[in-house]
Amino acid sequence: MSAPTTNVPVAVPAGTPSGAPTGPPAHPRTIAGSIPGARTVASRLLHGTPGRMRLYGLLGVIAAVLLGAASANALLASQAAVERAANNTAQVVRAQSIHVDLLRADAVATNAFLVGGLESADSRAKYQDAMSRVASGLAEAAAAQPADGKALGQLSIHVQTYAALVEQARSNNRLGLPVGAQYLKQASAGLRSEAIPIIAQVVESNEGRSQAEFDRSNSSLQLLVGVAALLGLAALAVWLAKRTHRYLNPSLTGAIALLLVTLFVAATQITSVGTATRDVARGTYQRAVTLADVTTAANDARANESLTLISRGSGKANEDAWGANRKQVDASLVDLSTSSELRALWGRYVDAHVSVRGLDDHGRWDGAVKLSTSTATNGAANTFNAFDTRVTQLRNDASEKTVSTLQGLAGNAGLFAALTALAALLAAWLVVRGVGQRIEEYR
Amino acid sequence: MSTRAVRRPVGRRLAAFATAAGLLALAGCSSVTYAETPLPTTTPPKPTTSTSAAPAPTCDNATQSYDPLPSLPSRGEITDGTMRNIITKGYITVGVSADTYLFGARDPFTGGLEGFDIDIARAVAKAIFGDPSKIQFRVITANDRIPLLQDRSVDMVARNMSMTCGRWKDIGFSAEYYRSGQKVLVGKNLPDAENLALADLKGKRVCAPTGTTSLTKLRSINGPTVVTAANHTGCLVLFQQGKADAITGDDTVLAGLAAQDPNTVITKAKAITTEPYGLGLNKADVYLARYVNRVIADLEADGEWKAIYNKWLAGPLGPAPAPPTPVYGR
Repeated sequence: MSAPTTNVPVAVPAGTPSGAPTGPPAHPRTIAGSIPGARTVASRLLHGTPGRMRLYGLLGVIAAVLLGAASANALLASQAAVERAANNTAQVVRAQSIHVDLLRADAVATNAFLVGGLESADSRAKYQDAMSRVASGLAEAAAAQPADGKALGQLSIHVQTYAALVEQARSNNRLGLPVGAQYLKQASAGLRSEAIPIIAQVVESNEGRSQAEFDRSNSSLQLLVGVAALLGLAALAVWLAKRTHRYLNPSLTGAIALLLVTLFVAATQITSVGTATRDVARGTYQRAVTLADVTTAANDARANESLTLISRGSGKANEDAWGANRKQVDASLVDLSTSSELRALWGRYVDAHVSVRGLDDHGRWDGAVKLSTSTATNGAANTFNAFDTRVTQLRNDASEKTVSTLQGLAGNAGLFAALTALAALLAAWLVVRGVGQRIEEYR
Repeated sequence: MSTRAVRRPVGRRLAAFATAAGLLALAGCSSVTYAETPLPTTTPPKPTTSTSAAPAPTCDNATQSYDPLPSLPSRGEITDGTMRNIITKGYITVGVSADTYLFGARDPFTGGLEGFDIDIARAVAKAIFGDPSKIQFRVITANDRIPLLQDRSVDMVARNMSMTCGRWKDIGFSAEYYRSGQKVLVGKNLPDAENLALADLKGKRVCAPTGTTSLTKLRSINGPTVVTAANHTGCLVLFQQGKADAITGDDTVLAGLAAQDPNTVITKAKAITTEPYGLGLNKADVYLARYVNRVIADLEADGEWKAIYNKWLAGPLGPAPAPPTPVYGR
């Protein structure tokens, strides 16, 4: 078979004037000249039945490698998704903490204001702790998720405004000037209308990202490539058996068996990670989110109680908001398993609040304020703090458990991926060996 | 040639496989990028349009109230429905201000309400119950005053409320218990600040609370840009934040604001209105109005009115003048 005479013009070497006649094999140094030689070699290698055996053997090797690559890739993708889910969950927790701390700071500030006179060192410290956690939380959250950067930047501006207004309220209050109350009102209103919607949005966006990664953690669809490769190898074995009338090729069979095991292990591993991740998503993660919702709503309720009293009879809007907060807490507590302890603690605060409202609605504002700020056993401050402390503790436990479980899940995927790759290489070698054996016999 | 015909598709298939494998590898390794967290869309608060209020109805007896009872009856003698309800309830509900320094304001140290209006309200409670603490204060805005009286959420309003012909159509008033006038408060930094009148503040932002006669008057003057807040202290906050250049209101209220910010001054320009203060009542409560008028008349007669005035207002406004002359006979 002679070299083809229709040389492709693409192969014209750089520098050759265009339109110049391309030389026939007289110039073998050019690429154009070398191709026919390579093709000659290739066609000789692939000629006849041994040639086809070589070709199909090559395809078999590719199939084995492909299967290994797909399995390793699926394992690593699943690991990466679980890791991202862990990171996003951690970000949800951070954002929720900021949300709770902002409302907690406001609850403390408004309640301290209600007492009249100089705020206690204790409540000042509580306010400052909450605001410090907000400040550091904002920086951490912005560093952890660049996509939140812009929203957190805006939030930071509103938090600064809030803190400045509270300080102005404080300094006017210390001078005995009623304009302080106005600053506090403006601070609380701005916090709720400007800052809270942003942080709620950040929480929502990260919940969405977590959910997306929970869904992505089961990447077993990619293993279909491996199944196709395995079918290809089986077809090769059948073809070879028909051609050579030798039914069992130990090497090729070994390769197929090895790849089958590899695929099975990869599928099992990925499915179990997927299942475990889904369990986390429905279990501790959901619990952490619900507990955070409870904490947020409860602190908002507490601030609304103070704002209602500060409004002295014109606080219907705040009392309505308290009612909405209560509904939210009640509904969330029903969803939670083992929440009887929380329900009991919350119930005690609700009782205290109802007494506060009863006093205020019957003209005993002084008594209402006293009860609302009371740290005695049945006082609103005491019962609320007991609930807040416990629910925060449970939430922290649940969120820490979520993040650490997810991080643990992703742990050994790298090892499995490496083993998968090694098995695929071994199988490829077995394919070469098995096909090579038949080619030898054919001669 | 036949081999080439076979080889080409194989080559293509190989290339397709390689591409697929490459894409898969890429899909696994490339990092996921998230869409930026959106900012919540906030609807900007509706700008309070300067819709000029309907022209104020005119009459010549805005300060005319009902004849006082000849003497204060004991609780047992009272048969009037409204007053019986108050007595049964055990306290009188009074709508007041918590941010009008010197008239009705919250004392940041005690949390209690205090001021001229508060003491007048307590005097009414003392007359009915013999105890000035039998009172439920309800802090309301100027805008709330008439609706809350109409739906009987409060029995009485003691919140520097001007008696006007328009308001008489909706509610009742006691006799006049204080006379004020609308003035203007500006920053000391304005040139010739002490002598500025509202009409001089062309292009300046002047604040007045919604639902007040001060706002109606401000809107009738050409020149200043109108800025509103829920109450006078809200105006002071806007002023301190640089969102308003001046505040207009009754001189007594402005005195309370000026006392909270040494950078302000009440101008010497003459008061542009006369503001007779009356206690607001439900339109139907004529007996209560006559009862309250007796209380006020007694306060004025026995010197208690002057004592209350001196307690709150002697500092910024000088010693008590003679109380306003009540007009009865409505």
